Amino acid sequence: MNITEDERGNDMCPICRTDRYLSPNMNFLINPECYHKICESCVDRIFSLGPAPCPYAKCGKILRKNKFKKQIFDDINIEREVDIRKRVSTIYNKTQDDFEDLKDYNQYLENIENIVFNLANDQDASNTEAELVAYEKEHKVEILERQMRQSQKNADLAQYQEAVARLKQEKLKIQQHMEMEDLEFKKQQRQEVLDKLSNSNANSDDIINQATNNSLKRSNSRKRQLQQINNQLEQSFENMIPGNQKKVEEGNKTPFTPFMGDRMIEKPYRMLAAPEIVDINVSSVVNSYYDPFVNQFAKNKEFLGAGWRLEAVYERALEEAFMGLGCFIEEEKKANTT
Amino acid sequence: MTEVNELKYSKERKVGEGTYAVVYLGKQMKTKRSIAIKEIKTGLFKDGLDMSAIREVKYLQELKHLNVIELIDVFSSANNLNLVLEFLPCDLEVLIKDQSIIFKPSDIKSWLLMTLRGVHHCHRNFILHRDLKPNNLLIAPDGQLKIADFGLARSLGNPNEDLSPMVVTRWYRAPELLFGAKHYTYAVDIWAVGIIFAELMLRIPYLPGKDDVDQLDVTFRALGTPTESNWPNVSSLPLYNALKVYPPPSRQEIRLRFSAATEKALDLLMSMTQLDPSNRCDSTSALLHEYFLELPKHTTPAQLPKKGGVQEDESSKRRKL
Repeated sequence: MNITEDERGNDMCPICRTDRYLSPNMNFLINPECYHKICESCVDRIFSLGPAPCPYAKCGKILRKNKFKKQIFDDINIEREVDIRKRVSTIYNKTQDDFEDLKDYNQYLENIENIVFNLANDQDASNTEAELVAYEKEHKVEILERQMRQSQKNADLAQYQEAVARLKQEKLKIQQHMEMEDLEFKKQQRQEVLDKLSNSNANSDDIINQATNNSLKRSNSRKRQLQQINNQLEQSFENMIPGNQKKVEEGNKTPFTPFMGDRMIEKPYRMLAAPEIVDINVSSVVNSYYDPFVNQFAKNKEFLGAGWRLEAVYERALEEAFMGLGCFIEEEKKANTT
Repeated sequence: MTEVNELKYSKERKVGEGTYAVVYLGKQMKTKRSIAIKEIKTGLFKDGLDMSAIREVKYLQELKHLNVIELIDVFSSANNLNLVLEFLPCDLEVLIKDQSIIFKPSDIKSWLLMTLRGVHHCHRNFILHRDLKPNNLLIAPDGQLKIADFGLARSLGNPNEDLSPMVVTRWYRAPELLFGAKHYTYAVDIWAVGIIFAELMLRIPYLPGKDDVDQLDVTFRALGTPTESNWPNVSSLPLYNALKVYPPPSRQEIRLRFSAATEKALDLLMSMTQLDPSNRCDSTSALLHEYFLELPKHTTPAQLPKKGGVQEDESSKRRKL
């Protein structure tokens, strides 16, 4: 782990002294054993014949070619921690669903953090490493099971994403197809108009107007058609995904009553329309109400602007007239006491 | 008569004093139920009793609903008028201001639902509450929300009767009231509920005007200035002016303001805060709105956050120490 800072600035392989200036497509690789930077050609040269010691002076760790990888993070310490975290999380791979209590899950996560920290910062590293290996041995089967489950989940997600992409493509294809057809149609029509103009002796403006009207109508109906096809596609897509149907069913499981059953839906009366013309005499009122005193307010703009409505007055009068009819207090009292 | 009544209830301690009443905490002797006794101060007013006391008695006697405060009894003693009310320890304003409580979307839905149910009950009995605000929405120990303070309530009278436009606490006052309308409708209560809905989502007052003029400005900056085209006859209202014309907000702007709200929630909010009172939805259509059908389902009252949340936190901290 003796990596000096000045190596980062100069883009030169410390083994073969190749410079990035002279060979611009040079790549550096690292090995998670010791994290020493070596250029690709050196890796090929040194490790092609099997495991070999790290060429860095004083390192000498045995490295294998297949473990070499590109460096993602500039800071080698972060690179290392990420690698450790990756490894630990494949072993400690429980998810929240595996715990009944959130506290236990948090404890588990805390434990993972401790292990990662210990390994990354060389604190009690050998002991932690031993523990980790022991844990892996002990829980081998469980770990594999959870891995399978995770990959299943990922596959489901991938399938879903694929379906969405396919839907999008399908839509685009249909749209393009329709556009092509439209273009063809337009050309054809223009030709028709020209033919008509040259052959018939009707008014040219009329012919042109008629043609534009026709094309307008057609484009409108086409738009509707496209919308319809799109809707159909989406519907079939939604049905395809089993998770969606379940959700709807769950949502409707317990009926929701906005009024808690306390609402009169069927009124005991039928309301007529409020008079439209308010200053008519009584004889001409048909199927409406006649009240000259109330009706006069429907002309008052101040009343109307404040939300006052003639219908509301008549509705209230009717509501109050019928309120409580069919309600037998003695019977309700009896029902309540028993 | 008075003696019997005084024996029926016990006054335990004073919990608050307003301009016209003192509130005591007590118990109903027979059932051991906690109650609040509102003792109306008499003699303060030349013309006898204060209007709001009369209104409160008049309308609460009529209304019996799970989401409206219950008036258990009224009695007089030693020249005092006493209202025996259900004891409700908390109100929605306290919860909104308590930053340690987190509101889930389902909690907001539940409170709004209970408020609308209470308002619907008032409206179908032709009673306008006219002072809806979080402070007047009390919370029972079992989590039920109850509409209280009917001191400004009134029943709609004759169609030509003038109503006072100086009602409703300023921040919750509907635009037709700000314009001095004298023939408004139930829509003023719906507006107030809409603003409360917004406040539940934002956790701060939605339209906090500094004074009546500023209230107009704040309201229209948020929701656009009404004109004859989107509110017919608005210019006939006594105090109408459109000095500053703000454009109505786009859907996207409102979406940004209420970033956590779903599209259905925004739909309901928009229809409750329509500027034109005749476009505003009524309590029935608000309750039937799809917002209440979509997931997440509204929280059951017993599971709603309570004021006690803070105390619980403190006690758990102590345990740790």
